[in-house]
Amino acid sequence: MAIDKQDADRAATLPLAGLRIIDISNVFSLPYAGGLLADLGAEVIKVEGPGRLDVSRGGAFSGVFPENEPGEDPWNRSSTFNLLNRGKKSLAIDLRRPEGREVLKDLIRVSDVLMENFTPRVMRGWELDYPNAKKLNPNVIMVSCSGYGPHGPYAQYPAQATTQEATHGLAHVTGYRGEEPSKAGQSFVDFLATWALVMGTTLALRYRHRFGKGLWVDVAMYQLGCYMVADRILDWEANQRRGERIGNRHPWLAPQGCYPCAGEDQWCVVSVHDDAEWAALCRAIGRPELARDARFADNGARMRNHDAIDPIIAAWMAGVSKIDAMERLQAAGVRAGAVFDARDMHLNPHAKARGLLETVQFPAERGIGRRPVIGRPWRLSKTPLGVRGPAPMLGQHNREVLQDILGYDDARCAEMEQSGLLGTHPTTPRPVFRMSMDERVQRGRLAYWDPDYKERLGIQD
Amino acid sequence: MVLQAVLGDLLVLDLSEGIAGPLCARLLGDYGADVIKIEPPGGECGRRMPPFFHDDPNPEKSLFFLLANLNKRGATLDLARPEGADLFRRLARSADVIVESFAPGYLASLGLDHATLEQDNPGLVMTSITPFGQTGPYSHYKGNEIVAYATSGIMTISGTTDREPLQHGGFPAQYEAAMNGMLATNVALLTRDLNGLGQHVDVSMQEVVASSLVINQPYYSFTGGVQGRRRPEGSSFGHVTPCKDGYFVSQEGGGVTWNGIADFFGREELKEPRFADPTQRLHNGPALDAIILDATKDRTMAEMFRTASEQYRMLFGIVQTPEDLATCPQLEAREFYQEVEHPVIGRIRVPFRMWNMSAAAASCRRPAPLLGQHNSEVFTRLGCSEAEIGTLRERGII
Repeated sequence: MAIDKQDADRAATLPLAGLRIIDISNVFSLPYAGGLLADLGAEVIKVEGPGRLDVSRGGAFSGVFPENEPGEDPWNRSSTFNLLNRGKKSLAIDLRRPEGREVLKDLIRVSDVLMENFTPRVMRGWELDYPNAKKLNPNVIMVSCSGYGPHGPYAQYPAQATTQEATHGLAHVTGYRGEEPSKAGQSFVDFLATWALVMGTTLALRYRHRFGKGLWVDVAMYQLGCYMVADRILDWEANQRRGERIGNRHPWLAPQGCYPCAGEDQWCVVSVHDDAEWAALCRAIGRPELARDARFADNGARMRNHDAIDPIIAAWMAGVSKIDAMERLQAAGVRAGAVFDARDMHLNPHAKARGLLETVQFPAERGIGRRPVIGRPWRLSKTPLGVRGPAPMLGQHNREVLQDILGYDDARCAEMEQSGLLGTHPTTPRPVFRMSMDERVQRGRLAYWDPDYKERLGIQD
Repeated sequence: MVLQAVLGDLLVLDLSEGIAGPLCARLLGDYGADVIKIEPPGGECGRRMPPFFHDDPNPEKSLFFLLANLNKRGATLDLARPEGADLFRRLARSADVIVESFAPGYLASLGLDHATLEQDNPGLVMTSITPFGQTGPYSHYKGNEIVAYATSGIMTISGTTDREPLQHGGFPAQYEAAMNGMLATNVALLTRDLNGLGQHVDVSMQEVVASSLVINQPYYSFTGGVQGRRRPEGSSFGHVTPCKDGYFVSQEGGGVTWNGIADFFGREELKEPRFADPTQRLHNGPALDAIILDATKDRTMAEMFRTASEQYRMLFGIVQTPEDLATCPQLEAREFYQEVEHPVIGRIRVPFRMWNMSAAAASCRRPAPLLGQHNSEVFTRLGCSEAEIGTLRERGII
């Protein structure tokens, strides 16, 4: 789909305008990085195979369909896929066939960045790893994301964020106090990889700008995950301390916790960093005398007597809503935060004022409508950034890429389409997972659902 | 190989405190920028953060401070006094980047905000990392790790339904905010390379953590569904499970079939449809728990990790401790650790390399600075004489 003139003008002022990025990506980490680079102005071409779709187009990692309806083309409709791959073009070509890889080589010759997150042996096997890619395009930047990195004893181990968060040390320190280790949430290390991939790509672009050469950015998710517990590793190195699970408490400040508020499954966290904040908390909860109580006189005393403080805070929280609790404590100068769920994230006044979520308008024929998706967690005062368009349908830009960018003629493209080298439909569609919204709630997959969410979001048409 | 530092042409002034801001500035230093950390004369709060080397709470021995302030020189300056603010204004004229983490509006109250400083230096990039960003009704709220976790939405899906929402261990929000601060600074620098103009970069820690919820957020905007915490029972498969000497977690997917998984656990009954069929498995969680717990009670983490990964191509993780990570051969192969010589702590190995980047890898050139260690060279460069620097010191401005 052509972008209109206003968009083109805006794109021209974006930092990555005029750059072409090949994005052979799967699942979360690299697709999201590619989507953010598209926000920054790059032309990002997502390459998939008609027989090897991005996993997030269907199955466990894809999220859900609009109105929970798979429609005629479920592979183009999943929520998470559409968030991650915004603003990209789609080329669906079979890279397992040598003719497909010849097309990819032609594309590498005219691109600035090649991004991929295969297991390391795949690109090597195709002779498309960095040393080979450089032969095709001496200044190309290559960005690779893998589980453990291309070398070392674990290089060939299968990897995915959900199992890695144990191995990279996060699960050991995550869990209720004194209890078993716990997994964090959704694929935590994938997003660390997303940030690292954008950091690496932007550094590499500046490197090329300054020194006239490309380079290889080699991101291993395991290594990144380990970096997030670097302070714990240092504590081991210096003090032989293994760290422990402390739930919602703070390792060296007190009190801190997550307390139930009025209503069902409503919570607010509180954290006190010093004596003044403690005194402010005592006043805010109507117990000013506790600020002078010897049991809680300083941080050390509060750490020792944390168990006695928890019920005092809990008693106050039980009588207020989570929003009231947060607002009243913050107004008193106390660190506090309501535990927001997905509905709150869309509707709370701060999120609305900041505009973290951006509404993407899909073309009418796709039957998706308008949907808010996560933008970026940073603002630049002079470079207005935004999601530049919806995620593409599978193979939507096959002809545009082959004819307009690579200069192939119509007959050659038609032949590739007939032979199944190119496609716009999956060769073997995945079975669609169906479960009603009510059943999802009943089975514990969801806490609840809002049938009127479109009215709440203002996206009813 | 001769390394060419990507950011070797830049001067960065780091006014930030704690973890996220300092770590962001350090990352700029890792890629070659000359980073000067500017602290109040009493030292920033990061110097008081545990853990300490040999548990000695000396402000030069905070290991967190060491980690977040490698590759910097250090100076002290009291920005709240007019002479201090004036010295900073002079430093800022030749700076490329300022990193700061004060409450929004504080630097403006001193006349040191981006809009003021850019009048003398149009190429100046200022990166602010704060709990809730520079704008919006919560922008003046105080925050920290757990506040970011609660208000970002991630706590609501962490933990179990019978208990309170659970934050992750350690300080992941701080690390993630540092990474986003660094990448957004890179974006501003790429823009400046094109048009010569600096700008103000506003990073919100709440939004950083919220931005990782790529299933949770559009689940709502596509269907109205709101995810919560998982139920406590029936969860051995796909969650953390005990074994002989620790804990493991395994998942479907990767290069293995369900039959392969059954073979790995050595239990034929797992091949029965009540477990092999994903929908039926949902109803048989407790039975699955019992079988897997029994099958792994005499097996070690190390053996299972190796066997599952090498022979069965399973997605398999083990709960490693900091000690395991300190001796991990894979991290060794990735050159994750670097040794630094610190004037007070001595020689120490630190986790250093986030990722690898052929010809322009991160380089570790300096330990964290002692308080005011480089005052003389920093202020001499501004044209102050030794006598003037002495006076500034006596008056408590540096």
